Amino acid sequence: MKEAKSVKFSLQQDQNGHLSPFKFAKLFDPEASWDKDQLGDVLHWIRQAIAIVCGLLWGAIPVVGGIWIVVFLVISSAIIYGYYGMILKVDEEDFGGHGALLQEGLFASITLFLLAWILVYSLAHF
Amino acid sequence: MATTQMLSSLKYSDSLTVVGISFCTAVVCECISWILIYRTNSYKSLKFSIDKASKKLETMKTENPTKISNKKSKTKKIDRVETSLKESSRDLSLFKFKSGAVVALVLFVVFGLLNSLFEGKVVAKLPFKPLGIVMKMSHRGLQGDDSTDCSMAFLYFLCSISIRTNLQKFLGFSPPRGAAAAGGLFPMPDPKTN
Repeated sequence: MKEAKSVKFSLQQDQNGHLSPFKFAKLFDPEASWDKDQLGDVLHWIRQAIAIVCGLLWGAIPVVGGIWIVVFLVISSAIIYGYYGMILKVDEEDFGGHGALLQEGLFASITLFLLAWILVYSLAHF
Repeated sequence: MATTQMLSSLKYSDSLTVVGISFCTAVVCECISWILIYRTNSYKSLKFSIDKASKKLETMKTENPTKISNKKSKTKKIDRVETSLKESSRDLSLFKFKSGAVVALVLFVVFGLLNSLFEGKVVAKLPFKPLGIVMKMSHRGLQGDDSTDCSMAFLYFLCSISIRTNLQKFLGFSPPRGAAAAGGLFPMPDPKTN
């Protein structure tokens, strides 16, 4: 716990840089304490990664139909929820509730997912 | 040479051109914003004060007052920090408005250019049937009834949102979260959405 606190302290020192010293192990450490900005950024990038992977996968298979957009949304929200709820075990009330955390990077990830899906689908199958 | 030939053999190679152009535009826009806003000292100090004030506010709200007499002075203090936070974020929005106008102009010119290049052309095939307003956008200026045809406008819209948001996030140019939270009471036009 002491170590986690010192990590938080050193991260908060770095106000200007977005590339704060980051420990990869912290991503899977339920003991670590999270700053609102850091958790938001981590959730944002996880969502974008899921969007790219799903988009490429859906386009490569290829799957067709609007239902797959819903499938993507459910998968990515479930992963985000599972990540902060089960792996990090943060209290969502400290960060503005489930809505704020699940909404992090949502719109950007939807557009990124659609872009990847449409591009791969159009280029690979016609 | 070989890659050009391979690309031209693809039916929807135009989609890559649209993505490439919009990626370059996003980079150019961020450069303009950097020159006009982010490198200036007044922006840095404004951002720093917003971050500081929002963090202070958060800790003040979570702390429990120990004495009843302290409570009154504490609410006063919170109010003061809140007002200063609101003022700073309003200043920030005004500041951003200036570069927002330039960026909007660039985006407008690029959109016009793309429009003249790909008018009436199907640049991609949608893997789903769009509805309502999405359909209007994705079928803008196209002939025929095939709703899965995708026009340049929709692809450009997707590119500009996803690439710009992520580029800003990556470069650390996204607006501070404290400002977004405080701006709720005073909704300001956000030049970034252009």
